[in-house]
Amino acid sequence: MPITQESALRIVYQALTNLNEERDGQAQVPLAPETALFGKSSLLDSLALVSVIVDIETALSDELGVPICLTGEDALNREESPFADVRSLCAFILQLTGGRS
Amino acid sequence: MNLRPLVVEDAAVTFRWRQSARARHLNRGAATPAAQERWIATRPSDDFCFVIELKTGEPAGMISLIDVDTWHRRAEAGHFLIGEEETARGIPAAVEALKLLYELAFDRLKLARVYGTIASENVAMHRWQLYMGMKEEGRLRRHYFIGGHFQDAICMGLLEEEYRRTTLPRMLALLSAGRSTAVRGQ
Repeated sequence: MPITQESALRIVYQALTNLNEERDGQAQVPLAPETALFGKSSLLDSLALVSVIVDIETALSDELGVPICLTGEDALNREESPFADVRSLCAFILQLTGGRS
Repeated sequence: MNLRPLVVEDAAVTFRWRQSARARHLNRGAATPAAQERWIATRPSDDFCFVIELKTGEPAGMISLIDVDTWHRRAEAGHFLIGEEETARGIPAAVEALKLLYELAFDRLKLARVYGTIASENVAMHRWQLYMGMKEEGRLRRHYFIGGHFQDAICMGLLEEEYRRTTLPRMLALLSAGRSTAVRGQ
């Protein structure tokens, strides 16, 4: 079954929820499409971002039954970062998995 | 980011980093700034201990390549700590610092292997190093006494070909993502 926008958002939110469970109250990452994942307005450092990426790749691979890599050539070749915010990451997931919006 | 050699003048800032919550999973460091100064001053000449700094010269953390053995072509990566959380937030500081360290190890020193240990409760770093291509090679049981209790040391290792095949592409993708985000945010 292809990944839909709703399922992509659910997977990203679940990864952020997992991250929030390890962080104290002041460092909680909001579950919202506009939440920045990378860049100066982000609450994440690169350790936290990788933790989120690992959770998302695992969930996508479980759903699709094939390995999914978010940091492959597709990510490298994009002009705008797929990790800028939740919205751009969901769009990238849909593109990568051939899903539908 | 730049890596510049750690000097005794860095004792105060690196001591503060070692006392922070982020360093809770690391080995017990120096107990006083003076002890930290002595520790820095007595690093062996074949250790590469660095301060991670922004291009502006602002220090962000520390990282080392120690026990460099050019016969067996191996070394240990360690003392890896992003001390300035605010400075590093939203930028791939840790990725770039580790990339620079691996360039030293694999490109300049022509090493075949980099290894290290991680305290078993340091889940974020363990996950991060696995993602960055390191393989888990074993466990030393009750190897560390950290946070008032024993923890296993997870032994990790990275071979040169794994670095080039897995680690480097992932690092480049994360660095590229960081750069394009920064450009967009200007």
